[in-house]
Amino acid sequence: MSGKKKDVFTALSFLLPNLIGFLAFTLLPVILSFCMAFTNWSLKPAIASHYLGLQNFIDILGARSIQHGQPIYLALYCFCILALLTGTMSALWAQMADWKGTRAGAFVIALTGLALIWHGIHTASQGLLLSGLLAAAVGTAASFQDKPWRFGTGTIPSLLILFGAMGTTLTQQSVNSAYELRDPYFYQYLYNTVFLMIGIPFGIAGSLALAILLHEQLPTGPPRMRIILGSLNLILALLLGSAAWIFINPNLGLITALFFLVSAAGFAFNVVAFRTLFYLPTFTAGVALMILWHELYNPKTGPINTGLAALFHLLGVHAHPPEWLASVTWAKPALIVMGIWTGIGGMNMLLYLAGLSNMPKELLEAAEMDGAGEWSKFRHIVWPQLAPTTFFITIMGIIGGLQGGFEQARVMTNGGPAGSTTTLSYYIYTKAFQDLDMGYAAAISWTLFAIVFAATALNWKFGKGLESD
Amino acid sequence: MKKRSGTSYLWRLFLLSVVGLTISLPFVWMVSASFKPHNEVEHPQIVPEHPRLSNYPIILNISPDPVTHKKLDLKFGRWYFNSLLIAFSTTFLQVLTSAMAAFAFARLKWKGRDTVFLCYLATMMIPGVVLMIPNFQILVWLHFLNTYHGLIISSAFSAFGTFLLRQFMLSVSPALDEAATIDGANPWQIFWEVVMPLTRPGLIALTILTFLGSYQSFFWPLILLNDDQLFPMPVGMLALNSSYGKQTELIMAATVLNIVPLIILFVVFQKFMVNGLQLGGVKG
Repeated sequence: MSGKKKDVFTALSFLLPNLIGFLAFTLLPVILSFCMAFTNWSLKPAIASHYLGLQNFIDILGARSIQHGQPIYLALYCFCILALLTGTMSALWAQMADWKGTRAGAFVIALTGLALIWHGIHTASQGLLLSGLLAAAVGTAASFQDKPWRFGTGTIPSLLILFGAMGTTLTQQSVNSAYELRDPYFYQYLYNTVFLMIGIPFGIAGSLALAILLHEQLPTGPPRMRIILGSLNLILALLLGSAAWIFINPNLGLITALFFLVSAAGFAFNVVAFRTLFYLPTFTAGVALMILWHELYNPKTGPINTGLAALFHLLGVHAHPPEWLASVTWAKPALIVMGIWTGIGGMNMLLYLAGLSNMPKELLEAAEMDGAGEWSKFRHIVWPQLAPTTFFITIMGIIGGLQGGFEQARVMTNGGPAGSTTTLSYYIYTKAFQDLDMGYAAAISWTLFAIVFAATALNWKFGKGLESD
Repeated sequence: MKKRSGTSYLWRLFLLSVVGLTISLPFVWMVSASFKPHNEVEHPQIVPEHPRLSNYPIILNISPDPVTHKKLDLKFGRWYFNSLLIAFSTTFLQVLTSAMAAFAFARLKWKGRDTVFLCYLATMMIPGVVLMIPNFQILVWLHFLNTYHGLIISSAFSAFGTFLLRQFMLSVSPALDEAATIDGANPWQIFWEVVMPLTRPGLIALTILTFLGSYQSFFWPLILLNDDQLFPMPVGMLALNSSYGKQTELIMAATVLNIVPLIILFVVFQKFMVNGLQLGGVKG
């Protein structure tokens, strides 16, 4: 009896410092935030907070009618969107689980994508165009599988997509004229957040490519050879660099010299040199790097645009380089490029390197005996073996991406131009700490949590199938 | 693979060098811009024609700004100090409290242990943005706004750190504890002399992760602090950028001063860093 009490006492003496912090800065906030979301809690002392029920959530997600709306159209519209989402998910699932008829289904998806592109061109809608392109690409890729053409279970989700897409485009007009969103910003910023996540697959592909290039030591031979080749590169850096500097232009000279310097480092220190260099942006990531990129993207004086202008001049193209962060169209791609540059050699590459070095060598050797080419070795051995890593990276990327974008919005763009780089996390920040409307901000943050949770759960569901592949 | 290694190896080297060049060019431009006089910053040429060192003393408030002939209204040195102070104390407290809690979860037997640990795990799923708003309210109630201790105490605990170290401690053989108990050691001695030395890789990983995260943290200090005497580096950089953003050469000198210590730290501790960060990959 007393022994048990003593056990709890000992444990508590270890746990207490952490537990107090945990209760005060994690558990209490979770409860408090949940309560705030149902009130009009404000930092302005003049406003007394009272219970609002679900009002905050209705304001975030709901719509109101501006003229005599037809509720049936609204219901139909929502139903079609639901069908679209369900169809997309079950199509993905069908692909993973290898249902019958996936090839016919993929063809339907590709056709739907083409129709969306056509519609997007007509209505000049970037979003439609983009989703159409995505659907067409994915559908086309999937319909080139080596499976029989058959109408089967997998086609049904694709038909759902088709009818969902048709239904939404048909009812959109009448719904748009009769209803308006209570908080149009929420959906715009959700769209921005998802748009900025386009960088994730490119980043993952880049990290994988770099890991494949890096995971084996470069066969530089004995130390004597390394010194000779390394110094040869240094001499090349000097010679070619100064030649280009004198005869073409100083910048080209510098770049040439840098290129050979990097390869000289590669000869001297092998892959470690590259791994260190690639990791640097991730390691130094933060406000300072964002300020640096803000300068790089400067439309008039930034090196990116002066370089592009010189290139256009050289090619004889009469075009102005984009305004990057100052333009509604180019601000998001600019941030995506910056994100890829920062993250390509970071954690994801290290995880892939670890995955590659854990891969059993026998598999690759056996495939080589069977005369497999580089591509089929990658497609049938390396990629499936790395599936758990890819799965982990994707989940982490999606979770981070949905919550991300605050720092760059605050430091580089202030969410602009015209709100085009405001993500949900920056929206929450402005609501809470500029409008001081804590209740509404808390409600948005819980909505975001629900989205993150749903995305993770779906990933888990589909990813598990991928892993057992 | 062996057959074609001659050409494929040159290809690999070429591709790697191209990527390396792309990664390093922004850094090169940053360094070169920090040595340019004001009228040269807008020139496309990367290497400055008349390089000058004076941007650095201006940023560090040693010499006056050539445009206004006044010293800048900046506290750059102070921001360095703040960043280091906050990062060191946060890291120390967080690693210590996490290790102690992890010991209680991994090595001691007590009633309700698994329930409490499950609570810890469950809160790890809640995104940071959800916690920011109520946390701010709590610090307002505690009168912790605009203070070092508010910032340090509120980030001195981590469910993630506890989880990470617990995993490491579970891999230490329990037979060691039993042997130490028979020799008459109390739990505190077991903690300090048996378990802690054996979890060193985990402690190093957590230290690096926490230090880096704290040194670069931006959102939380930005909200909590509005006195520029207390700013850590990232918030200070934002203030600098909004008041002197037009003078690119000064901003770039500040960025260099910001990034170079990190680069040195990274190159010196390269081996630890890569392993440690790989271990902490769970944090994402």
